[in-house]
Amino acid sequence: MSPNQLTVIIPSRGMLAILEQCLAALGRSLEAAGLREQSTVAVVDNATAPPLPPKRIAAAGAELLRLDAHHSFSQANNLAARRWPAANYLLLNNDVLLQPETIAEMLGLLERIPQAGICGARMVFPDGTLQHAGVVFGPGKQGPYHLLRAQPSHLMPRVDREFQAVTGACMLIRHELWQELGGLDESYPFGLEDIDFCLRTRQIGRPIFCCQGSESLHFESMTPGRVKLDVGSRELFMSRWQGRYTIDG
Amino acid sequence: MPKPKITGIVHTRDSASTLEAALASLAWVDELMVVDMQSGDDSVAIAQRHGAVVHQVEIAPRIDGVRNRFTSLASGDWVLVLDSDEYLSDDAPELVQSLIADKGGSYDAFALPRYNYLGDQVMVGGGRHPDYQIRLFKKGMVLWPDAHHTLPLVTSGPGRLWEVHSSRGPHIHHRNYRDLRQLITRQLDYALTDLYPSDPASFDFAAYLARAHQQMAMRSDAETDGDLSQAMALVMAWDAVMRGLIHWDTLEPRPPLNMLDGFPRAAAQMPRWEIRLRRFLGRHLALKHLLRAVRARLRALLPKRG
Repeated sequence: MSPNQLTVIIPSRGMLAILEQCLAALGRSLEAAGLREQSTVAVVDNATAPPLPPKRIAAAGAELLRLDAHHSFSQANNLAARRWPAANYLLLNNDVLLQPETIAEMLGLLERIPQAGICGARMVFPDGTLQHAGVVFGPGKQGPYHLLRAQPSHLMPRVDREFQAVTGACMLIRHELWQELGGLDESYPFGLEDIDFCLRTRQIGRPIFCCQGSESLHFESMTPGRVKLDVGSRELFMSRWQGRYTIDG
Repeated sequence: MPKPKITGIVHTRDSASTLEAALASLAWVDELMVVDMQSGDDSVAIAQRHGAVVHQVEIAPRIDGVRNRFTSLASGDWVLVLDSDEYLSDDAPELVQSLIADKGGSYDAFALPRYNYLGDQVMVGGGRHPDYQIRLFKKGMVLWPDAHHTLPLVTSGPGRLWEVHSSRGPHIHHRNYRDLRQLITRQLDYALTDLYPSDPASFDFAAYLARAHQQMAMRSDAETDGDLSQAMALVMAWDAVMRGLIHWDTLEPRPPLNMLDGFPRAAAQMPRWEIRLRRFLGRHLALKHLLRAVRARLRALLPKRG
């Protein structure tokens, strides 16, 4: 397995128009990183009715894994990682438009810091405010939240730094870590399985970083019905982790 | 309880271009059989590469009559039948197994919904989805009559057939046509090679025109499938007219075509309620089976003629 070999996993329930933009931006980012040939882009069609058009997905340079029944985010990612094993996995949401330099920056960070297990990415909303620059934890029921979410982007320094967690909307993970933890936990209905994975990563002593060099675009929670599933996931997450993470000052 | 054994059966005839996907999607079954109708291409080699047991069969005009012979050779408790231009999704193994575990005790056969692709587009309007197909059943519980467009028979009765809801269960994915040109080529080929009644007295061109009206009304659903649905409706209407002309051309002596007279009569022969009923029944296969059983009972009650 070449050390830079990459499988990008993009679950999608419908949303073909934005998915195609996501794939186009991803292609440019892989090209800029010199990884186009060594990468597999896997679109997981999570029970779209009617199914995503196979030829259009293939024309965008992606493999298609079709699920007829709706699966959780964890199951969708785990299935694709099993099908296309690689040295690194990039979990990517279908409503993220990567900057050309983002993948190279993320891989560069993992290369620079060998003990790092996961690397996240800084992302903004279409209006330029921060969508994600790292996940922090509040006291009590507050739990995990995005640092400076919806705040002007200039408030967050452009310095890569360590966090307890980063979002799974754009998350680069080393293969051996993925194997050791058995992928994402499939008991989460939808949401917070990424934060669970990060906390489990830290429990085995692997730090997590967020790249701040480029600002990709993330529309966030575009899939219909997505937000409803969050409630069950949050309850499960808090029952497992409350009191076991560090409250960020 | 031990897991029931599943036999997958795929029928082929010069199917090399689509067979790979069909067999790859059945890699998880306990036994894989390919029933080949004298293919001249690489179908058999592909089947062997996938570890299938290949049975050769003589060329027959219809696959339906052949199916029964080979389902009886299956060693599985359940049989899953695919055509060579169909495939299952990547989560089919778990969906099929949980379907059998949940409902297999109460039902002998499952009607699976089917997605039909024309090129890259799934056609769902005009009753083309869920397009139920009886393809998963306990061995020996389904029989196919040797005729075109007839429903397979669930031997234990229509009450033992379960329609799998399209939002939850496995689908059959059917790559019907590569593009519209392939649809036109195939329809013309079928029309030219089909058998037509030879009695000139029974020929009625208006009946073909009526079928053309019906195809236009049933298959055109632009709100759901866009222009492609209208194109498909036009092809199928054209097919009906072509069949009328081909039929007429085979007759000796040729009866009057009565084209001008045929148009108004054809419009009256295809009432809207019948089109609506056909669309409705197209979506509810189990109901269709039930109606067929009721009709058979009623017929049995009627005094026999002669």
